[in-house]
Amino acid sequence: MKAFLIDITKCVGCHDCQIGCKDEHCGQAWMPYAEAQPQVGQFWMKLNQTERGARPHVRVSYLPVMCQHCENAPCMKAAKDGAVYRRDDGLVLIDPVKAKGQRQIVDACPYHAVFWNEELNIPQKCTGCAHLLDGDEPIKTPRCVDNCHVDVIQFGEEAELDLEGAEFLHAEYGTKPRVWYKGLPKKFIAATVFDPEAQEIVESAQVTAESDAGTYTATTDMWGDFWLDGLPEADWKVTVVKGGKVKELEVSTREKDQGLADIALA
Amino acid sequence: MKEVTTLQSIACGGTGGEITAVDSKDGKIVRIRPFRIDERYTAEELDGARWELKADGKTFRPPLKTAPNYFALAYKNRVYSKNRVMYPLKRVDWEPGGDPAKINAENRGKSKFVRISWDEAIDIMEAELRRIIDTYGPYSVLCVGEDGHRESKDLHAGGGMHATLMSKLGGYTRETRTPDSVEGWYWGAKHVWGSGSNKGLGMIAPPQTGYNSWNIIKDITEHSDLICFDAGDWELTQNYGSQFWSRLLKFWESVGKKFVIVDPFCNYTAVCHPTMKWIPILPNTDAAFDFGVMYVWITEGLYDKEYVETHSVGFDKVRAYVLGEDEEGIPKTPEWASERCGVPVYTIKAFARNVANLVTSHAHFSSGSVKTPYSHEPGRTGAYLLAMQGLGKPGVQQLHLNASLVAKENIARSTSAPFSSINQCRMFYPNAQSIPRTMVAEALQTGKAKWWGSPCIVYVETAEQFKEFNYPASPEAVLAMNQAMAKAMGMEPPTEAPKVDKVHMLWSEKPCNMNCWDGGFNYQDAIRTNEVEFFVTNHQWLENDSLFADLVLPVTTCLEDNDSMGAGMIVSMRHAGITPPACDRVGESYSDFEIACKVGERFGVREQIDLGMTQDEWIKYGYEQSRLVEEIDFDTLMDKQYYFPKLDPNWKQLPPGMRQFYEDPENYPLDTPTGKIEFWSEALAEHFPDDKERTPMARWIVGGPAEEGWTHDESLWGERCKAYPLLITANPARFRVHVQGDDIAWFREIETVKVKGPDGYLYEPLWFAPEDAAARGIANGDIVKVFNERGTVLFGARISERIMPGSVMANKGSRVDPIAPHLDRGGAINLISPNNQVSEHCKGFAVTGYLVEAQKVTQEEYDGWRRDYPEAFERDYDPAIGINYNSWVIE
Repeated sequence: MKAFLIDITKCVGCHDCQIGCKDEHCGQAWMPYAEAQPQVGQFWMKLNQTERGARPHVRVSYLPVMCQHCENAPCMKAAKDGAVYRRDDGLVLIDPVKAKGQRQIVDACPYHAVFWNEELNIPQKCTGCAHLLDGDEPIKTPRCVDNCHVDVIQFGEEAELDLEGAEFLHAEYGTKPRVWYKGLPKKFIAATVFDPEAQEIVESAQVTAESDAGTYTATTDMWGDFWLDGLPEADWKVTVVKGGKVKELEVSTREKDQGLADIALA
Repeated sequence: MKEVTTLQSIACGGTGGEITAVDSKDGKIVRIRPFRIDERYTAEELDGARWELKADGKTFRPPLKTAPNYFALAYKNRVYSKNRVMYPLKRVDWEPGGDPAKINAENRGKSKFVRISWDEAIDIMEAELRRIIDTYGPYSVLCVGEDGHRESKDLHAGGGMHATLMSKLGGYTRETRTPDSVEGWYWGAKHVWGSGSNKGLGMIAPPQTGYNSWNIIKDITEHSDLICFDAGDWELTQNYGSQFWSRLLKFWESVGKKFVIVDPFCNYTAVCHPTMKWIPILPNTDAAFDFGVMYVWITEGLYDKEYVETHSVGFDKVRAYVLGEDEEGIPKTPEWASERCGVPVYTIKAFARNVANLVTSHAHFSSGSVKTPYSHEPGRTGAYLLAMQGLGKPGVQQLHLNASLVAKENIARSTSAPFSSINQCRMFYPNAQSIPRTMVAEALQTGKAKWWGSPCIVYVETAEQFKEFNYPASPEAVLAMNQAMAKAMGMEPPTEAPKVDKVHMLWSEKPCNMNCWDGGFNYQDAIRTNEVEFFVTNHQWLENDSLFADLVLPVTTCLEDNDSMGAGMIVSMRHAGITPPACDRVGESYSDFEIACKVGERFGVREQIDLGMTQDEWIKYGYEQSRLVEEIDFDTLMDKQYYFPKLDPNWKQLPPGMRQFYEDPENYPLDTPTGKIEFWSEALAEHFPDDKERTPMARWIVGGPAEEGWTHDESLWGERCKAYPLLITANPARFRVHVQGDDIAWFREIETVKVKGPDGYLYEPLWFAPEDAAARGIANGDIVKVFNERGTVLFGARISERIMPGSVMANKGSRVDPIAPHLDRGGAINLISPNNQVSEHCKGFAVTGYLVEAQKVTQEEYDGWRRDYPEAFERDYDPAIGINYNSWVIE
């Protein structure tokens, strides 16, 4: 069975995956695999971006999202006349002819990865570029994979992918995707620690975050910064310690990542 | 018909990009994709061309699959853009002949176009050129845009084909490309460390290697601990020829290098690499930050005293200024710096100590403070920081675009030049009469201009900046220049002074000056006068300056030409390439080369341009003239369509960057007057003793009122900031290159690229810090107007933690969409950048770090514009690509 493995820790936000998908499918039909995608408005591969933290501790998480080619695909269940089918290699495809008029296929997908084509009256989504895998085109890999220059997206036999530590996007949907992710963002707490009297940053301060979800530690670096990353959502007691000076803060990651105001360690 | 694959070099600069495969069918592009370079050569055959970098026990080699720039991968949207110029177009209410009553100059940028035939277009070109030459002389034709449309082409490149033709017709006035994106180095650092790269760009390079900095990346890889991204955004600027640079950065991360980015905007490099430290700073306060750093170094002994002693002159004056031991008496402490630049005192100190304690290189990519008012000051303080840490020492380097070649090839001509060239553009040629691009508007409006230095971006030594130039040039000066040039070319020199008059015709092969350069609204005003009797542009897309033209000639994109184009810089491995057409021509387009030939035919000079050769013969000629003949035969090159030249076997031994100067300054001097780094420039003191803006050494210059002799009052410490309290950061965009690509539908859908207004128009984003937006009652998605005395440009609000409060950020290069004079909807921020250049004697542009105010557009105001300028709001608009061909052409 084929699968995708997406390691978002490598992503630089270039959108080449999204563009490659559009380059292959917009205005070009690959029947019987897919009708042409409209020039704009559909994202068979979409790079979502989320701004996290607060100045000056800001990151953007880029997350490529596509059809998850689920084993328990809700779209297959919603489709009539076998309009959504699974290939022997595991890819889930919509038959553009049989799916005509079946808008419920769009609504069935919890990942919002199926789009409605008003003009053609059909649902459309990622095909895994099955026409490239099967055909005699110059490349044999999905375009999002071929276009990625930093190896974020891999495609191959599921058994041959290094899935250690990989997880599903929204595993709670229970659809058993064939798209695996590494590095899905958790929450972070970050700040700069400084000595207000000396007006110096504080390097090598020990920072501890404690909650019922666990204890996490970090050390401030040569900028006085600590990044407590990979945190679960919880309410934390954050303690900053250096040279007998202690600062305690209450910080919550239940709603968002926390880029804190600079911390005066006095 | 089966698909065919051509290999192309698609980049938004003239120097090419990594190989990009284009699959086509029936003359139409099917897909554009990366290419495996081992497809037509074995790995063994490629081995001699592939470098290796080693650090921390790890080895990095250029990947076998190319990484075309992100823009190239979306080029189908450019070739088949709804904005392509399909046919020759004539402005509907303009007539040839120069009669003010019939040219309707005031309607430029307002009245629309009609399609005409190529025959009619060439008839107009011939008649107008003859009339202008007969009436005023050939110098009244201004050839605009020696840098061209900036597609990567060779024979077919624009950017001086008009000048090549005009040179056969007796002469022309040259519009000189001013030193864009390197202003601070060009006007400032050149006086510190000499001419620099390309003998004049201003970024450091040793004179002894023909001004080439080899092995900078190797030296950084092996020796640097910390890399400062001072200005510019690695993930976009550095990637315009190839996205290889993301891969290199990841390698550097994997071997433990540290990075810091001092920028008003948490840029696209900072947000996606976890190793980046972002230090937010107020725009154009970098000189203050740098002086604060120097204060720490001097007071704590954290600089290379011995190097400063043996390799520089004039440090005592800078030292006295920094410590407050001069006539001014103000110590430039971190506290002093913090008050100006907004960076906390403790962070300035940490920066100073980290840079001093770790082996540190600086990377500069054409943005930020080196493009600001008074940019020579941060340019020089940037040079001072490097000098004080022993510039040239292992791992202490300046990395910039022209110093980014990883390894020298046997047949390399420089760090940036392609392996062969058949470009026929008269590009960067000195000329008898010229106008700097920044002063064209002033020259048209006042009939005169005065400046210092040509000021051409490349191939001019520092001392040229002491020379005064004038427009109009005197006929005697023109004669003397023409005689000198004839002599240099071994031709019979002229004996009589030619007729030299003011400019009355503009012919542009780069019609985006109002958007790419400074003071765009002022440029529009200048074009709207009767002085300009005829304005013709060659261009692929109907946009920007072309909307103000009288005649627009359709140009091919690089994918439609029969050409040979490789890559000369900013790629992982440079190549020579054969680039036949990937698809049928769109509309009735011709290349700039072909257009010059067509017009030349009417004057009987075509053979002087194409030399009677076919395009295939040109491609072969280019090969024969090059050193490629030493390594590959023509038939093999044509068969494979690309070739990677072998590396110089001794490439690893080439001294990196300024190493020889570091080791032996007496025998490897700089080209400064003393041969050393000049913290204080006696030459500036001698030539411009009364210049209080660019004094002999860098200072903290805030400017002031014009009546007191200041060029600028663009800081938070003057008068104008009371009305315009925000400093704008105008960076290049993540998904455009300068003004290219604003019509790419697939990019416009990306969240950060546009903001959909309540009226359905996709506005260019203006990035606000939450506190600045809140203070103005602005919410995400609001239509906002950004304005100063120079005019008003509309944007859509985007509120973000990524921008320093006190600053707003707009990306340059969104296309103009005129509502009325000095009022634009398209978000082209350069329409309101300063009109008056860098400073008194420095006529480059200032395009970021200037004052504006931003307010929410009220419904009443918006309705008023719709009522007063209905035609602007009724033009065809397609959100997918914005304004387009149908917006401006009457069918």
